[in-house]
Amino acid sequence: MKRADVTVVLILIGLAVFILLEAGKLSFGSLRVPRTAFFPVILATLLLILSLILLAQALRSAPTGRGPERIEVEGWFRIGATLATMVGFAVVLERLGFLLSTFLLMVLLLRAIEPQAWPKVIAVALMTSLVAYTIFGWLLGIPLPAGVLGI
Amino acid sequence: MDVFSNVALGFSVALTPTNLLFCFIGSVVGTLVGVLPGLGPVGAVAFLLSLTFKMQPATAIIMLAGIYYGAMYGGSTTSILVNIPGETASVVTCLDGYRMARQGRAGAALGISAFGSFIAGTFGVIGLMFLAPPLGRAALRFGPPEYFALTLTGLTLVAYLTQGSLTKALIMTILGLLAGVVGMDPISGEERFAYGSLTLRDGFGLVPVAMGLFGITEILENLAVITPQSIYETKIKGLLPNRKDWQDSAWPIARGSVLGFFLGILPGPGPVISSFVSYAMEKRLSRYPEKFGTGVIEGVAGPESANNSATAGSFIPLLSLGIPTSAIMALFMGALMIHGIQPGPLFISKYPELFWGFIASMYLGNVMLLVLNLPLIGLWVRLLKTPYVILFPLILLFCLIGVYSLNSNVGEIVIMLGFGILGFFLRRAGFEGAPFILAMVLGPVMETSLRQSLLISRGSFGIFVSRPICAALMGFTLLFMLWPMIWKRKTAGKDRSPSAQENSSS
Repeated sequence: MKRADVTVVLILIGLAVFILLEAGKLSFGSLRVPRTAFFPVILATLLLILSLILLAQALRSAPTGRGPERIEVEGWFRIGATLATMVGFAVVLERLGFLLSTFLLMVLLLRAIEPQAWPKVIAVALMTSLVAYTIFGWLLGIPLPAGVLGI
Repeated sequence: MDVFSNVALGFSVALTPTNLLFCFIGSVVGTLVGVLPGLGPVGAVAFLLSLTFKMQPATAIIMLAGIYYGAMYGGSTTSILVNIPGETASVVTCLDGYRMARQGRAGAALGISAFGSFIAGTFGVIGLMFLAPPLGRAALRFGPPEYFALTLTGLTLVAYLTQGSLTKALIMTILGLLAGVVGMDPISGEERFAYGSLTLRDGFGLVPVAMGLFGITEILENLAVITPQSIYETKIKGLLPNRKDWQDSAWPIARGSVLGFFLGILPGPGPVISSFVSYAMEKRLSRYPEKFGTGVIEGVAGPESANNSATAGSFIPLLSLGIPTSAIMALFMGALMIHGIQPGPLFISKYPELFWGFIASMYLGNVMLLVLNLPLIGLWVRLLKTPYVILFPLILLFCLIGVYSLNSNVGEIVIMLGFGILGFFLRRAGFEGAPFILAMVLGPVMETSLRQSLLISRGSFGIFVSRPICAALMGFTLLFMLWPMIWKRKTAGKDRSPSAQENSSS
């Protein structure tokens, strides 16, 4: 818990400094006429102060050992594979089109979370992409990318 | 003002076939979301927000409200039957509700929670109807300093009420405000922190951020540690509570309704807090407090009523002051603003058909849920058995489509995934998403009112203490900020609110 807090504090301090530097490029104005950088500078300063308070609290408190549940290797794999699949979806969506991308997304997710038998995977993925296409593209009229299939 | 003609106007709006249909759809979807673990009401509203763009504003808000209180109903069903709270407001219901189910009294527990919710929900709506208009009129005299003080008080209170460390909640608030800064300066229109990105020029979108923090994060957490699904097989018979049940529950329902309503008005996760407070209160008032936790009906009736009237109460600050007090209210504000409607003091007088139509639809929604929930409980239980291997990919797909459909912009998917990952790691480090999303929505209001106040006062902060309402709010905020420091000395090391796991595993 303690180490996690210290890591977070370091990132937060970095963020606050970055914002202060970036805000320095914008016009601050004055108390009488506050301008664009006024609010972000106040916030970044508060963030800095709060991070230091958190740091002090983290260093002072005894390790409680009541951290979050431990994630096993399989858990990290599921998370990683799921995220990678979704990023992939974002990349190919406008190139391959909605139907094909959704089909691939479902196939990969169904294999990533807990590998299912291939016939089941194909059936569910096919059904989902067709139903989703019907509901979103056809019934709700959301413009979905056509891609290589041309529909 | 004639309440009757207003209510009549409201029903004329709510009873149009379209609105009736979407009220129904909202209630069903809400119940579904409440029943299924993995997607909370915030995620569901965020997702469906994108589908409401093409609707009439009244239809949109009616459906979204249906989802919100539908989820409150649905969450209690799973608490009672399988000891899994569908969402946080029903955590307490597990304590006695599940015990009742184990004793073969699932029907009575489900029945009393549905009736209690109905009674309390109706009470909450009546309260909303009478309290929101005068509050809105009073707020007409508010200037920038009052708005600044209001947003400050709201954000502080939410941070204070968030479970876990106050410092961490405050940090999340600041981060949310900073996220709200990205994009155009609300006063001068200058571009800030956008780095030439077209997606960022209008700032972070509420929907991608909310769906990332509440939808994706939730799924990632569920993926991290997969627990085998087990459903306790139980026969549900006799959904109607008997005479004795009613006698035992009458006062808890009444107290829960009033308590929940007022806690709902205050900033913070009203439904969650009110259910905890109601449970504690019933236990204290009971002649047999030692029996709580073994399956007493009061422990179900009170909290279930409280969380439903809190749901209605939490609309008051949003509709009359334009200040959302929880993550879900922030989304409602977003839903209205997408249609060009600014919630606030002028809202009720400017859009009476919207306000009263919304009120009327809440009455109807409560009736629908009562009718819908009791006979369909078997169906909900069967849905619970949907294997997560199918469920999670479906939810993720919905999130992806929902965000993409906003502006046909892949950049927003990236933002959603980014906030999902961020939310996952932050939550593991003890940082909650609710203060963040609320601060992000309130950020522009806060910045504008602060800068305008300083322009009026010529740079003097005295303006925030020289005006009575403003000074009172500021004093209140200060008190809340200092309170934990005084308090901590007395109860060092004590956890402020129990977590879901600890409660439901009893």
